[in-house]
Amino acid sequence: MKRRSFLKSTLATGAAVAAANAGLLTPSTVLADWNKKAFSAKSLDDALNGAYGSAAATASGDIKLKAPAIAENGAVTPITVDATGISGVESIAILASKNPMPLVCEYAFGAGALGYVSTRIKMGQTMDVIAVVKAGGKLLKAQQEVKVTIGGCGG
Amino acid sequence: MSINIRMRGKSKGGVAEVKALIKHPMESGARMNKKTGKPYPAKFIDMVEIMVNDTKAVDAQWSGAVSANPYMAVQVKANAGDKITINLTDNTGEKGSESLTLK
Repeated sequence: MKRRSFLKSTLATGAAVAAANAGLLTPSTVLADWNKKAFSAKSLDDALNGAYGSAAATASGDIKLKAPAIAENGAVTPITVDATGISGVESIAILASKNPMPLVCEYAFGAGALGYVSTRIKMGQTMDVIAVVKAGGKLLKAQQEVKVTIGGCGG
Repeated sequence: MSINIRMRGKSKGGVAEVKALIKHPMESGARMNKKTGKPYPAKFIDMVEIMVNDTKAVDAQWSGAVSANPYMAVQVKANAGDKITINLTDNTGEKGSESLTLK
């Protein structure tokens, strides 16, 4: 009888472990999907935590962030992030500090790509544009203020 | 209907700069329709991938804060003759794909 209950409990634990494993596996499969948590975050720190699991980025002079000092039309602000001077760039994210949801885009790079992104983003008002680069497991950042003379969220 | 993409690429010294211009409204879902008082429904490209000869080189995620009719440029390691493909999906499931062979 005792042995029977022992077996039962072991089986139950086994099932629990399997369930936990399944639970642990889910986040990695979810990563391939759109990162809703990071993109719907309303603060810079939450956005970075959602995207990279950390908000501690150190300023780096090796990131070349090209953004206009004055954007005449905030709806199309050209941004270029050149991190080709850094080795082992895994990812680049562009954030607009005062947008309702700061994270604009996130690029993950495989071995066949260089750490370089150029795009155009919407900015509702004058604010800082922040480029975050993940290289060798570390987070680096560069930022620049862009003065917006016409709001951009109206598209 | 699929998303219209215009792309260009040029390889120089083993590195190719790939540029794409995409026709898309990029509606974030936050913009109000003043007539009805309701927001325009969200419709924006959220997933972008760039392949070099069927190997994924860049995997990007976008929000509705990327400008309408997005422009994008990335650099990949590729030579003349390599095939570059861009695949897109928006939040409503609409897809777009375009490829070219580098000269």
